[in-house]
Amino acid sequence: MQTQSSRWLGHGLYLVIMAILVSGVYFAGQKINYSWHWERLWPYIINTESQDIVAITDGTAVVDKAGRLSVLPDYGDDPQLVKVYDTLVARDGDLIFQGDTIARIEGWRFGPIAEGLWVTIKISFISLIFAVLLGVMFGLMRVAHGQVWRNLAMTYVEVIRGTPLLVQIFIVYFFVGTVFDLDRFTSGVAALSIFTGAYVAEIVRAGIQSVSAGQMEAARSLGMNYVQAMAYVIMPQAIKRTLPPLAGQFINLIKDSSLVSVISITDLTKAGREVVSGSFAPFEVWFTVAVLYLVVTGGLSLLIQCLEKRLSVSD
Amino acid sequence: MIDPVKEQSSQPALIQAHKVNKVFPNGCHALKDVSLDVQPGEVVVIIGPSGSGKSTFLRTLNQLESITSGRILLDQVDLTDKRTNINKVREEVGMVFQAFNLFPHKTALGNVMLAPMKVLKQTKPEARKTATDLLNRVGLADRMGNYPTRLSGGQQQRVAIARSLAMKPKVLLFDEPTSALDPEMVGEVLDVMKELAREGMTMVVVTHEMGFAREVADRVVFMEEGELVLEESPERFFHSDHPRLQRFLGQVL
Repeated sequence: MQTQSSRWLGHGLYLVIMAILVSGVYFAGQKINYSWHWERLWPYIINTESQDIVAITDGTAVVDKAGRLSVLPDYGDDPQLVKVYDTLVARDGDLIFQGDTIARIEGWRFGPIAEGLWVTIKISFISLIFAVLLGVMFGLMRVAHGQVWRNLAMTYVEVIRGTPLLVQIFIVYFFVGTVFDLDRFTSGVAALSIFTGAYVAEIVRAGIQSVSAGQMEAARSLGMNYVQAMAYVIMPQAIKRTLPPLAGQFINLIKDSSLVSVISITDLTKAGREVVSGSFAPFEVWFTVAVLYLVVTGGLSLLIQCLEKRLSVSD
Repeated sequence: MIDPVKEQSSQPALIQAHKVNKVFPNGCHALKDVSLDVQPGEVVVIIGPSGSGKSTFLRTLNQLESITSGRILLDQVDLTDKRTNINKVREEVGMVFQAFNLFPHKTALGNVMLAPMKVLKQTKPEARKTATDLLNRVGLADRMGNYPTRLSGGQQQRVAIARSLAMKPKVLLFDEPTSALDPEMVGEVLDVMKELAREGMTMVVVTHEMGFAREVADRVVFMEEGELVLEESPERFFHSDHPRLQRFLGQVL
């Protein structure tokens, strides 16, 4: 048994080691010939600068008495109406060329990193749902009585586990996507779900097989059929046991979602790459991206721990 | 349909096993021409050394174990017939296991309620009523909300018996119900079983409890090496001078 004092000593020692590590990283950052500009990052996360409203054609600016701005084009089109703005740049009667700033609007909007984060969360969440569906289906097929089912599930698992995700994304996007006319987001979700589904299938199979054979016998000898026994007796126990490995797999899914940037989905990683070329602050950007991934995976892992705790009442 | 089993009483036997053979895929010949009739309300105790096939035979009676040849009729229904709905048969044959096999994710009450609700499509209040009555009957009125891990072995086995009874079976099969129990808990389970026997439940019991056999059984069966060696009333059985039985009893008593 661990004593109270030795536990506190351990915590203290841990803090000291972490402090040394962090300050090491900090001083290393100071020592290199790199000027840190964390403040440059903000506009790429949340942009509070006023936005320019630009003219879409050449023409003449008209400001009526109510303060509404419109641009009368030189050649016959409908006028460009600007209903909402905060400051006027063009004055009544000004000659306007396409691309000129005619007004500004205040407020804030999400920068590319925040938008990339949202895409990552969205693609991971949708893929997770499909991965679980595929995984449970193929996991059940792996333990089914019919040899056909077992062979099919085995083939799926082996083929998907045996090939790199990057290659699968390319195949899904360029081949399957062409055949079924899928957009890049759908292709990305499909590739990620199919990939993760294979691992979930193995986890589900292991979970089912970890439930003792006596449980199935007890359920069947009470008159339940195979499906009922699976649904009410085996799976509830299996799911509880598969939660820890499933959490790991879901975290992998979130991280693997960074690979979909190769088919031009602007997820967190691709947004990071784009922001680096715009902000000239690569170190800050990649640290930020890493922390954001950590927040998402950490949140998920916390959620599953809560679920585990709730399911452990019968232990 | 020709009935191959000779009728001994006026009432047809509830279980009619005729020349049952079981060969496992690994070639082990576990049951050799085992025939046994069980009358309604009868308690049949099967004893024998481990590996004698007594558990295997018991498990063929609700088809947890398939048979290689022979016939088993349960209340005139042929279990080996492909058209028999085995789930329907199993509703009427309760089984109590050596390892209890309670559902660990359900409370004692939940364990007893599950099958009546899912299989017999009872409503929740109906199932709860039956379950409460049964758990009362096995003396666990104060343990209904407990999960199996919070129950002693003896209590778990009594819940398992209540769970089987909830399906209102015609026969109860007991597969060494007290073998996994600490000695001080054997009594409480045997008491429940004796109570059931008194109430006229048809029971087939595989056990090593000679006292139970002597006291409760209508017939005692001795199996060895896959064969049914001897089938007698308890008085005659325990005074039999059959050499193989003598050798076995010499080892256990």
